Amino acid sequence: MKPKISEAAFAVLVEQTGLPLTAQQRATLYEAYPMVEAMVARVTQPLPREAEPALVFTAEVR
Amino acid sequence: MAEFLTIAEASRLIADRRLSPVELTQSCLDRIGRLDDVLHSFLLPTPERALADARAAEARIMGGRSRGPLDGIPIAHKDIYNTAGIRTTGHSKLLEDNVPQRDSTVVRKWAEAGTVMLGKLATHEFAMGGPSFDLPWPPARNPWNPAHFTSGSSSGTGAAVAAGLILGGTGSDTGGSIRGPAALCGLSGIKPTYGLCSRSGVLPLSFTLDHTGPLAWSAEDCALLLQGMAGYDPEDPASADRPVPDFTADLAKGAKGLRLGVVRHFFEKDHPVADTTREHIDRALDVYRKLGAEIRDITISPIEDWHACGFLILTVEAYAIHEPWLKTRFNDYGELFRDRIALGGFVRASDYVQAIRRRRLLCLELQEAMAEVDILVSAVQPTEAPPIEQVPKWGTLEKPSFTIPFNLTGCPAISVCTGFGTGGLPLAMQLIGKPFAEPMLFRAAHAYETATEWRGRRPPLASA
Repeated sequence: MKPKISEAAFAVLVEQTGLPLTAQQRATLYEAYPMVEAMVARVTQPLPREAEPALVFTAEVR
Repeated sequence: MAEFLTIAEASRLIADRRLSPVELTQSCLDRIGRLDDVLHSFLLPTPERALADARAAEARIMGGRSRGPLDGIPIAHKDIYNTAGIRTTGHSKLLEDNVPQRDSTVVRKWAEAGTVMLGKLATHEFAMGGPSFDLPWPPARNPWNPAHFTSGSSSGTGAAVAAGLILGGTGSDTGGSIRGPAALCGLSGIKPTYGLCSRSGVLPLSFTLDHTGPLAWSAEDCALLLQGMAGYDPEDPASADRPVPDFTADLAKGAKGLRLGVVRHFFEKDHPVADTTREHIDRALDVYRKLGAEIRDITISPIEDWHACGFLILTVEAYAIHEPWLKTRFNDYGELFRDRIALGGFVRASDYVQAIRRRRLLCLELQEAMAEVDILVSAVQPTEAPPIEQVPKWGTLEKPSFTIPFNLTGCPAISVCTGFGTGGLPLAMQLIGKPFAEPMLFRAAHAYETATEWRGRRPPLASA
């Protein structure tokens, strides 16, 4: 599957992480990126505004 | 002494002074010497420590001061559990020389229960990146056929227990890393309820998905091991402050009256498993019917939804943990770990938050689906163990996982051997319970194991 993100936009993502990737390593991760895109698409289906996260803040720290 | 003993059997013999912990330990050490050049299940055997532990156990027992059913039982620890004064590497070059000052809580609790520690076991790198061939140590091999995969990441524990090198061991499970090796190595392995067992002193992978738990030959053995490791730990912020039940109390109650809900669409429609895997689950359900259980099908969200939510959270949290080293020592990781986890660096913060919001809804959905049943049934692995050289690099991300849904919900889940496939390798089903309902899960697993013949068969390599 081809990534939806362009190679140029993916390069920006890589730059933001600061990971010291070789061109080959970047190409490998670019090829794998559709798996991330597919997962993100599934979890970002619309949610009720009041849907709270599974991790909730508590004031008492253990 | 019998060729292979379960923990329950060995414990009874030791208590009756008909089995010496020293002789039992020595027989395990002999087996390690004979088989582990092929299996690679140990990163570091500790024979001197083991014999010292065994002699101390024997002295206690002969003196009438037994510490209970785990006293004198040979075990080993996955090499992500800190062991004071003993190298703990995460099976990674990055921690090749790491010697912790303190035991992890679980290591300490098992030691206090009298277990005999035989060493540190292979894992996938940092409990995620295997099977890898570019690390300082080779990956563990499946005792049923050493050319085949153990699954992971508790790969060394799976191999060592199946081959009888130890009677039980620790694992950890972030997306299926106890249940996967238990399934492919023909064992019992339980991921307990999130919060039941301490994670303190265990190398983290994903804070909100990591679970510690045991692998052993049978569900009864897992119950005994879990008894020695469960309980509140103030050093683990997620630890549940509640009483620990007797995990063996319900073992003899059988399956009559249990209500099983089969999540059939997970393994028939969403991610179809091999015919033999499905047929063996159906045969297991027939066994439960004969034992008096009620069985119905249950429908929940497609497995892809659970998988996407789980692996987004896992990769992002793992990336956050490893980011400093990924930036400075990227090439010191094995290729599989670094590439899988690097993907977590490309996920937007808002997408992570959406994933944890989705997670809560999935937890609520499962709670509702389980209102009318006691236990869910699903697959663990899609097939028998594949050849280790053919495990795809992106396999854990490409195909939906049958196990990660219950890391998301934190429910207890156990892998139970359902027989053997056409390749002669083990098959399994997964039983899932409600939070903190481990006794019922052990009851169901034990009822099946004692009604079937599979616990009587060991890997030919180990029996030779």
